[in-house]
Order: sequence, then structure tokens, then C-alpha cells
Amino acid sequence: MFVLFEHDDGNALNVSYEMLGEARRLMDGFNRKYALNEKVIAILLGHNVRELAYKAIDAGADAVILAEHEELRYPRVNLYTKVICSMVRDRMIVKQAAETTSDEYVKPRYMLFGADSIGRHISATVLAELESGLASDVNKLVIDDVMITHQYKTNGKPELYKHVLFMYRPDFSGFLWTQILCLDNKNPTIAREYSPQACSVIPGVFEPIRYDGDARKRVEEGYARIVEYKPEFSSDDLKYRIVSRQIIRDEIGLEDSRVVVAFGRGIKDDPEGNVRMIEEFASLLNAKVAISLPLSKQPFSVSSALKEKYFIPARVVGSSGKKIAPKLYIAIGISGAMHHLAGMKESDMVIAINPDPDAPIKDESDIFIQGRLEDVLPILIESIKGSERG
Amino acid sequence: MDHANDNSINVAVMVKLEPDLSEGNVSYNPDGTLNRSQTKNILGPHSAIACRAAMYAKTCYNAWVAVCSMGPPTAEIALKDAMAICCADELHLYSDRIFAGADTLATAETIKHGIIRMGRRIDLVFSGHRAVDGETGQTGPQTAWKLGFNFIGNVIDYSIDVERRMVRARRKVYLPSLYTVLEDVECPLPALIALDPSYKDEYRRVSERLRYARLEKEARRRVMDYKSYLRIWSAKDLGVDVRYVGLAGSPTIVYKVEKIPKVKASRRARVVDPSNLDDLREVGNLILNIALGER
Repeated sequence: MFVLFEHDDGNALNVSYEMLGEARRLMDGFNRKYALNEKVIAILLGHNVRELAYKAIDAGADAVILAEHEELRYPRVNLYTKVICSMVRDRMIVKQAAETTSDEYVKPRYMLFGADSIGRHISATVLAELESGLASDVNKLVIDDVMITHQYKTNGKPELYKHVLFMYRPDFSGFLWTQILCLDNKNPTIAREYSPQACSVIPGVFEPIRYDGDARKRVEEGYARIVEYKPEFSSDDLKYRIVSRQIIRDEIGLEDSRVVVAFGRGIKDDPEGNVRMIEEFASLLNAKVAISLPLSKQPFSVSSALKEKYFIPARVVGSSGKKIAPKLYIAIGISGAMHHLAGMKESDMVIAINPDPDAPIKDESDIFIQGRLEDVLPILIESIKGSERG
Repeated sequence: MDHANDNSINVAVMVKLEPDLSEGNVSYNPDGTLNRSQTKNILGPHSAIACRAAMYAKTCYNAWVAVCSMGPPTAEIALKDAMAICCADELHLYSDRIFAGADTLATAETIKHGIIRMGRRIDLVFSGHRAVDGETGQTGPQTAWKLGFNFIGNVIDYSIDVERRMVRARRKVYLPSLYTVLEDVECPLPALIALDPSYKDEYRRVSERLRYARLEKEARRRVMDYKSYLRIWSAKDLGVDVRYVGLAGSPTIVYKVEKIPKVKASRRARVVDPSNLDDLREVGNLILNIALGER
């Protein structure tokens, strides 16, 4: 299993460790189940990033294939794709990383990428080049054998597929889970092998693991390997240039806010008025305002001032937005889809306002005010104003 | 093709027909999932952003613009909506039962053939960030790779150097757990740009704004007669290898769709009835105390 180790000029993204942790667990189970000895290999491209190779080993990699070059300092989709594909197709290099690699090796069995601005695009282009299947935004992975009967894949006949990576992704509503499988065409008229089975992984979902920081010793003693790969590219590949880069700080600051007030589709009866009221409520508490994912798709007609201020991805709390843990999280008109809960469940205290007694948010709340926000908020605002005066 | 002295810019936009998630049009089942049969389909909001970027190219660089989409015959609604935004010169719909059920790789294969067969050298392709229903964001980069174009994603602003045949773009790179980076890049044409949802088109010069207004008017005229700009392509017309498109050409399948199991309740909620004003005021006090740091 190959994992793209993502970093920004040497600063690792957490998702890199999370993917390696999950890859370790999956491949330990895989090797036990199938009595095999396949490895977790981190792919690391960059400039002066050898230190990260040791960190990858501490996070669960058996081996790291390291491509260092000043032109690889920052990701560029086409350039990285070329290097990654030639690296994982290089049987000699892969054998150096994993001595158990078979002589028939052509392409990886599994590949993981982060579902972020680096991995999302590179996974797509790498898999276009390797001509295989890719699932995006996955939050659960299982390896198993499965009998499949499929019109195209098996010509309608049952066929056994081994070593299948079950890639689970929540859909946009947050209530459905889709299992995506990447399967060879066993139907003789369109027979084709699809490898690797690959996906991009939602950041913050999987648990990283940490060994005790003895990666150097493990490399010296031969238990883990760092393989150097010499990347090759032409002058044409370098015509895509990064002219400048500037780190911008998060303009919203949800992570640092003591109290966060979040709203969802429950504002629907009077979007403009309700958001104004929520705005007032939040300002009384010196709280930052967050939204649930569906609202970032701007489903309501509100004034452009409100739309541009609040209905934006940067305010989304959830697995495809921010993960926060404020002292107090107030969820207004949010039903509580799984991907939303993933972003706020670490909060110290949760208060929800929702008329639906069966809303999933209730199970993540300490206090559940069962009512319409139009009825509840004015009273809360009034009582808070009253206390302040008192 | 020799185009050393050719300053024309030819643009293709790839768009998608998607469920309209706006209130009043969208319908949800009682369990919170989308009720597809009751939900209207429209040009996807991210596709609309791609069209705005194409309109910018038409206004500022006099670009020729074609909009394309793979989908059922009803997807021509998306093309019509797209035309209204970017004053398209041509509309292309790739519609064939063989294309149905395609995953991103098979979709990219179809669109690649469509773009190659537009009858012009295409310099720049625009795509949206990701569809509201599929939400993969993979089709754009995969189409770019198959075409051999440079791919630039998360673009919030761009300009073209027509003389040098270069595109310059500003990208917003989200690095969760670290920070966000604004990155300015430059690459030769041809390229495929995927627009970030925060893309803004700014017409800085008066001449641009005047031209924009003229094109908007022209777009309205064309939309009335959009069918005469529309060409519908079958798999045969496109010359695709049917083993590489649709279900047959899709490495992935959707094996199962299930409801996400409810997570075990991790908190025991105290339920407050808002008609009990004393209880509600007490919650108000609690909230204020936490906000003031007294708890």
C-alpha cells in the first residue's frame, strides 16, 4: 500500500500521519489474513525533507521512497504526477523498498492520498495515468474478499474478487454512505485489470499511530528502509512555474473562539431575518459564527452581504470543513449529519436548538432546546442582554 | 498546428447538470436524504462559476467559447443556462446510453474526445471545483491529464498573456491542519483551470465593462435560439472506444449505499421546553457565563 506523504515545504499535514496509521492497520490485517508480507510505503517528494522520511517510518511506514530535488519543493500537479507514476512503476525501486515485491509487479495494489488541495488533484491525475479507479473523500476502509455479480464487470455471472478495498464515502447530504469498489473487468469481452485501488481520505478521520521515535535505529538495522529515487524531468515539465507563495491566516478564526454559534437548514423560514438574529446573538457572546455544509452551497436567497459573509466554505464545521473544540458550541437548526458531528463533537459543552426531537444532534448535545429558533433565540437574546445590564 | 502568429484564444467549458439544492426546489426524504425524483436539475453552481471564467476570457481576450457536457438529453438545460452566462458560440452535448453510469475516469475519457473534436485548437478549458452531487472534483484534473494539458486547480483569479501564450493564475491552496496558501503560478497554454468556489470575475476597465454588457445582451439573444447552437454527439460521432467509456470503461462501481449508522449517543441531553421561560432564561445565563469565562 502506497501513501502520498503530503507536506508544505517540510511541514507535514496531519492527514499524512493519519493515512499511514490507517495503512499500517489495514496491511497488518491484510498480511495476517492472507499470510502475505506486503508493505506500507510512503511516497515522499520534496526538497531537503529527509527528516520527514523518518517521521513517516515512525508513523507506520515500512519504507519510504524519497525523491528530493529543488524543483519538487512545492507540489505541481503535472510534475508530481509524472514523478510519482514513474516511481511506483519502477520495479527495481519498489523492490528496494519492499523485498517481498514479486517479479511480476507492475503497479501498486493500493494507494492513498489526502482529500485536500494537494492530494485531491494529484490522486486524480496519477490514477488517470495509471488508468485505474479512484474514490474521493473516504472515511472508512476495509479489505475483504467479495462475490460480485455485475452486468459489465462479470457479464452477469458471480465471480470472486480477492483483496478488495472497500472505500466508504459519505454523500453530500451526510446521511448516506456509499461503498465504492475498484474491480477488474472479468467479463471476457471487456477484460481489463484495474490496479491500484485508490482513494483520497478526508483529513482528521483516521487515527495516527506513533512509534517511539526510533526510526533511525530501525533504518540502520534494516527493519525499515529509505530508498532514494532520482526524479527525471524535461525542461517542458518545468514550464509550469510557481511565481510566488504567501501564507494567509484564517480570516474566520473558528478554532480560537471560546464560543461558536453554528446554524443550518433550520433557518429556512426566514433566512435573512434569522441570520441577522443569529448574528446579533453571536456578537453578544463575542462568538464566531459557523455553518453546516449544506449552507455553503448557498441554498437560500439572502442579501449578498450575508451570503458573502456567512454562506462560505471557510465557515463550515464538519469532516469537510473545520474541526473545532470550543468551550461552548451552540447548534441552531442543525439536524446533525455524521460529517457535521465529526467537526464539533470534541466541544466542551453543546447546546442545540431544534424543533425535531429525533434530530441526531440531540445525541451530541448536553442541552437540547426543543423548539423553533424563531421562538427560542429572541428570549435567549433578551435574557443575555438583561443579565449584562444587571 | 502552427499558431506562432495566432493570437486567438479558444476556450472550452465543461459543465454538469446537477440537482438544485436551493430551498424551494430541493426535496429531502424524511430521513434527510435527497429525494431525487422531486428535485429539479439545473446547471451546477460550480459549473456556473466555470462559465463566468469563460465569459471573462470572452470579454477580455475576445475568446471563442464552447460549452460541453456529458449527460442525458435533458442536460441541454444546463448548456442553455451556461450559454446565458458565457455567451457561448457553440454547445456540445455528449449523450449516448453507452455513456451512462460512467465514473470520473470514463467521464474524462468522453470529454477528452469531445474537446479534441471541437474542430479548433483548444487553448484553455474551464471546469468547476466539484459537482454538488458527486463531489469528487476528479473529472477536471483527469480530463486535463488525458488531454496532456497543464492542470491548475483552486483558481481564484487568472489572466492570459496572449503574445507569449501563457496563463497566469492565483490559486487558493487549502492545507488542513496547517494553513491556506495563496500561490501565483504561470504555465504555457494549453491548460485546464478548475475554479475555486471563491473565484471572482472583476472587470477593471470601462472598455471591459462595456463589452461585457454587450455580450450579456448577445447571450440573451442566443439563448432564445440555443438549439441552433447545440450539437448532440453520440459515442459513434465522438469516435470513442466503447470499452473505455460508460459503465464498461469505469474501474469503480458503487457496490452499496446504506444509511450511515447513528453514532452512539455520547452525551445525555437535558431537554428544555422553550415554553418554560424560566428554564430558557437559565440556559441564557449559562451561555453568558461560559462566554464571559466564568465557567
